[in-house]
Amino acid sequence: MTGMASSIWLPLFALFYVAVMLYWVRLAATESASGDGFFSAGHALSPWISAVAIAGASMTGWFALGGSQQIATQGFQMPVLIVGGVLLALPGTLFFKRLWFVAERMRVSSQAEIFRVYYHSAFLVAVSVTVALLFALGFAGLQLRAIAGFVEMMTGGAVSRLSASVVLGFILFAGAGIGGMRAIGYFGVIQTVLAFTGIVVLSGFALIWSGGFAALNDGLLQLSASENAAGLFTVNGVIRFTSGLGRGGDWAEANTALANLSFAFALMGFQASPLILKLVLSTRSPNGIAAGQTWVTAGFFGAIIAFCIALTGAAGLVNRDLAFGGLLEALQADSPWFAAWIFIGIAAGVQLLAGLALFVAGEGLIRHIYRPYFHSRLSKQGAVTLTRIAIAVLAVLAMLMENLTPVTLSALAALALPMAFQLWTPLLGVTWLPWITRPAAVTGVGFGIAGVLLTEPLGYQVLSFFGLELPWGRWPWTIHSALWGMAANVAAVLIISAITNRDALGTEAREIRRLFSSLLATSDKARTLRSTAWSVTLAWFFLAVGPGLIFGNAAFVATGESGPVWLLGMPSIWAWSLGAWICGVGLIWFLSYKMEMASPVHVAIPPYEPPPRLTKDKTGEEQERLRILMLTGAVGFALAVLIAFSFGG
Amino acid sequence: MSKSAMIERDLLVFSIWAVLGFGGLALILEGFSRDSYMISLAGTGAIVAAFVAHIVVNGIFATGFRPGEAALGITAFGALAIAFIGGWAVGGLSPADYWSGLTLFAVLAFGLPAYLSTRYGLRGAFSRFHVRHADDGTPTA
Repeated sequence: MTGMASSIWLPLFALFYVAVMLYWVRLAATESASGDGFFSAGHALSPWISAVAIAGASMTGWFALGGSQQIATQGFQMPVLIVGGVLLALPGTLFFKRLWFVAERMRVSSQAEIFRVYYHSAFLVAVSVTVALLFALGFAGLQLRAIAGFVEMMTGGAVSRLSASVVLGFILFAGAGIGGMRAIGYFGVIQTVLAFTGIVVLSGFALIWSGGFAALNDGLLQLSASENAAGLFTVNGVIRFTSGLGRGGDWAEANTALANLSFAFALMGFQASPLILKLVLSTRSPNGIAAGQTWVTAGFFGAIIAFCIALTGAAGLVNRDLAFGGLLEALQADSPWFAAWIFIGIAAGVQLLAGLALFVAGEGLIRHIYRPYFHSRLSKQGAVTLTRIAIAVLAVLAMLMENLTPVTLSALAALALPMAFQLWTPLLGVTWLPWITRPAAVTGVGFGIAGVLLTEPLGYQVLSFFGLELPWGRWPWTIHSALWGMAANVAAVLIISAITNRDALGTEAREIRRLFSSLLATSDKARTLRSTAWSVTLAWFFLAVGPGLIFGNAAFVATGESGPVWLLGMPSIWAWSLGAWICGVGLIWFLSYKMEMASPVHVAIPPYEPPPRLTKDKTGEEQERLRILMLTGAVGFALAVLIAFSFGG
Repeated sequence: MSKSAMIERDLLVFSIWAVLGFGGLALILEGFSRDSYMISLAGTGAIVAAFVAHIVVNGIFATGFRPGEAALGITAFGALAIAFIGGWAVGGLSPADYWSGLTLFAVLAFGLPAYLSTRYGLRGAFSRFHVRHADDGTPTA
């Protein structure tokens, strides 16, 4: 096939994709023309639309790119990836239902607003917005960079990475900036379906080109017999007391059971992030949460991860040419229509996440930071316009960083998941643990962020710049920064909750507690199952993602005459993880329905009527705040330059 | 039908065609590229499955094809027919390509009366085309 004939399909499919996107953007913009619904889709998204979009944003694009690549390069040392569907669904099972009711009662539509209403904490609002920014600029930016690279590869260099990322930036702005939350929700369904199809079809090609499932596993078995590659099929011990990457640690030593467990916690940060909560709080009813988390996210998409993404990665492990990029390149040469279709699917998944992240970050900057603290007289329409401008600026910034500062992009991306995981403690305080006080939640998150920063490259590189060399590198003791941060976070929360007044709740927080103890009170039946729930959850964590993974190394291996034999015809740890995924779906079902954590509730929630307060003109106070912020920024910058000049390199 | 129901129906239709329609198209092209009748047949099957799924969704939401959908479908059918006839005229079709194209058009051609008869019944389907005249010669609805 000629180069021209083979490269026409990608732009053709891309044009069709953009046309469909613009159709939905136009529809959404028309519905939001009155200014209502741009930020939260009028709280009118159908539960099934939210469930599909949440599942799509939670895993499709980034898991297809990162997960298959991880298995292709490091084998099955991180089996936590294979049960990713369950881990991603678990936080939603815990939080979504109760947070939806909080938002419905208080008439708010985002995580930052919930923190402001419950804790009255500007710090937690700022952290929530920062996490959204990290996802928008770092996490999604890194994937967009990869997608732009694939465009360059598939067009044989005719479209450069820079041009591709500019076009992607425009598409992102058109989707999220013009259409708002409605467009993200509506088009998110189509993007998710496209992404899931792309992943399935790609894994089908990987399987066919590997010669079938048996041949693929024969290749894996041969690989496992070679001396250098045996470690690719086992979890490497429980813990190693290394100093971390960059300080004498290396990748091989990082893949212990504790590395798996701590990475599982990082994955569990995703559905605690403001991104996914935005989708949940834009939904008209919470009655689809249980089904969405159990059957769509953990079940259906969990299966896609456990089979399709693992299979694509395994094909790449046996044959480097069949890794993700290699597969697309080969397809582009032989069947460009399939390559275009699959690529558009994967890109759609990435766009869903990136669009949502840009939208939530833009909204956070304007609606949750600028408007309440610096310009309270800003009108609703003004906030929409400014948010659109913020989204455009962020899209341009992301595009510039993708092309000019990929290392910084990577460092920021690494912070997104562990930082989002630190939001678990304030979210638990709102939903399940009323004894977490405001000072405890705020300090806990602060300590958690410090823990994450000090065990990630961005933190220790910044300290190094100022002349302070930490004795450890990235993820010391093979523990992911998410767990280091959470250890500090939980310690601070426990200590400070113990020494501060637990009854010092605001009016709104008391109202939320009343709501949980009345309408959403757990039934006696669910209460009797509490100990069972704790037992099965802890057992699952131990065996599926914790130290119990060591049993999986050899659970399905027998010793034959000519060497080890895989009893199930596949690597033992893969089979173990498939079993863990099935049990995990059962766990999510049990927690969602039997423990009533996400089960449907049919009650009407009237809006909360706050006690009447006098509104005062805050203009002077806001101007003073802006002046202090600018002064602090200038002094901070001067101090940073001084310290770096004196001690740093 | 309410606006939100219409949106949900449209989302399902778009999703169906994104998967089965484009998948079918890719398979048909693959069949033409490899001169494989069976691969093309799988593509035709996917497109038929897309139609069936579309009709099922219409049934669930108690509606029919929208004018825009019918226009798009007829345009796509016409474009495919012209491409096929053009390919046949210039002699660029192998026997497998030829039979693949004929199968697709035959299935689509039989599909229309089959759809109409399932939606309106045999007599009703005929009445969609047949214009009755009153005794005085003026057409009636």
